[in-house]
Amino acid sequence: MNSELYQFSTLTVVLLLLAFYGGTYLLTLSIRKKKEDADAFMVSNHRVGFGMGAASMTATWIWAASFYAAATSGYTYGVSGPIHYGLWGALMILFIYPFGRRFRALAPNAHTLGELIHARHGSSSQLILALSNVLGSVISLMVNFTAAGALVAVLSPLSFQAGVIIAGAGVLFYTLWSGFRASVLTDFAQLVALMAIAIVIIPAVFFAMGGPSELVAGMGNLTAEQTNFFSMDAILNQGAPFFVAVLAYAIGNQTISQRLFAVNEAHIKPTFLTATVGYGAIVIGLGMIGLMALTLGVQPIDGNMNNLIPQMVSSYLPPLFIGLFFILVIGSLSSTADSDLSALSAIMMADVYGKNLARGKADPRRMLLVGRLTMIVATVVGIIFASFSLDILVMLVFVGALWGAIVFPVIASCFWNRVTNQAFTTSVLVAMVLFCAARFELLPLTGGSGLFFELLASVGGGVIIGLMVFGFLGRTAGFIAAAIALVAMLIFATGFLRDYTVLLASLTAYGASTVVCVVMSLISRQPDFDFATIGERVGDYDATEPSESYGETVPGAAKLAPQR
Amino acid sequence: MTALYGFYVLIWPALTLAVLVVICRAVLRDHRKAKEERRELV
Repeated sequence: MNSELYQFSTLTVVLLLLAFYGGTYLLTLSIRKKKEDADAFMVSNHRVGFGMGAASMTATWIWAASFYAAATSGYTYGVSGPIHYGLWGALMILFIYPFGRRFRALAPNAHTLGELIHARHGSSSQLILALSNVLGSVISLMVNFTAAGALVAVLSPLSFQAGVIIAGAGVLFYTLWSGFRASVLTDFAQLVALMAIAIVIIPAVFFAMGGPSELVAGMGNLTAEQTNFFSMDAILNQGAPFFVAVLAYAIGNQTISQRLFAVNEAHIKPTFLTATVGYGAIVIGLGMIGLMALTLGVQPIDGNMNNLIPQMVSSYLPPLFIGLFFILVIGSLSSTADSDLSALSAIMMADVYGKNLARGKADPRRMLLVGRLTMIVATVVGIIFASFSLDILVMLVFVGALWGAIVFPVIASCFWNRVTNQAFTTSVLVAMVLFCAARFELLPLTGGSGLFFELLASVGGGVIIGLMVFGFLGRTAGFIAAAIALVAMLIFATGFLRDYTVLLASLTAYGASTVVCVVMSLISRQPDFDFATIGERVGDYDATEPSESYGETVPGAAKLAPQR
Repeated sequence: MTALYGFYVLIWPALTLAVLVVICRAVLRDHRKAKEERRELV
């Protein structure tokens, strides 16, 4: 086993990056219009086909960290490790589609989930959702640029900062003009390359290391837990926290909702099912390289788990494959980064400018300017954060909690006509406060207060299971599943969950927001909401229709029903 | 066990290949349809 990674020359790496970003840019020229319109910039034409939609969804959801984390999981937890990373990540795509179909039915011409919530409730709820989306996308941008810097620094003489800047500038370069349309088109090309490389690299490393017989022979290096496919260690430490996050990631991520509103409505189901299988197969497959490393007794260079895959590829395959691996990682991080830029621009264009600043009188040209400026600012922010290697742990903790806290209010708002704006906003704020109290142990997690948090967390567990079942099997099955999960949690989690602070706090966010939202909605005296009005309030910005009184054309947005 | 572990590792690139074929065929279909309807693919 090599103790050092293969090194490319500076010229080779620069040429590889130039070929990748130059080729991607040339691809976007084929869809370039002299005059882009704001709607196409955000969601194409709402009729993206199944193939392009599935490719874009898969490429967006796979980021650089997916490979590293899956391999780390395989190396740490053994046989079941890659499954406990890839499966739950894949289910995040699967579990959102039944709700996505409802979002799309309510607001067929929306660009962001925030617009739908704005039409349902008003600004405060919408801005909470938009804020959580913005934070998530900025963090994602930063992580992807950081991965580019680390990869370039590890495999070439170029510095970390050089890698960060090249990746940031490269992604911005091809996304700036056509926005979401460029993102979707390049996602397809990037995914084809990514899948082709994964299909070759996984068996190549496997057979180069000795194949199945060598893998079985190396099982002696594993602990009993690592050889157990149903390892409780893997389930509790890797699977369970991911399972809790399944719905939160899907609701809190504008890159997913953007594709929900862009794909042809009839193709939402096959698109999301295919993306689920595609994501799972690629990520679990690459995670198997971590398992292979474990059976061979490989020690990651410098103790850094992120070196595992490059180390295995370096050791067993010729330099050509290392070049392919380089493209694999750059492709995966770029496809996610361009989607984050498109998501951020759509939020600033529709949620901030369209709904709050222009208040129904949005100028599509100004919207485009807002979108492009957002992309530039977001790229600069991402590069700066990545270059300084800022500690994002605290930010991640809050974003995760915020996403967990909004899951029930967002879903309930789209199905239950009694949920009010006040209930939405208050429930999220209360959930955040209680999350902090549990996560940072501001209140003692013993005695009465410990029991209080465990009760809320049990409700949270019931809500997660109930919503998942509700999405696929309907209301009755959802309520039954939630009740069973709640009872099971009350029996098994009481007196036990307080020892797992992270899990307790996350479940508390779900439980608290649900309880507050339901109670406030039930005692509210506001008239029931008419869901049919959402479609009238959310529409395209560029569509021009003849004015009834003057025979002139007016922007589509000007014809929308007034917002609350 | 050898065959089982071999299958466990290699099933994922095989699945990836299957999804790649499905996506490429669908994109070709999308492309043809868009051309017929004289609109852009994205």
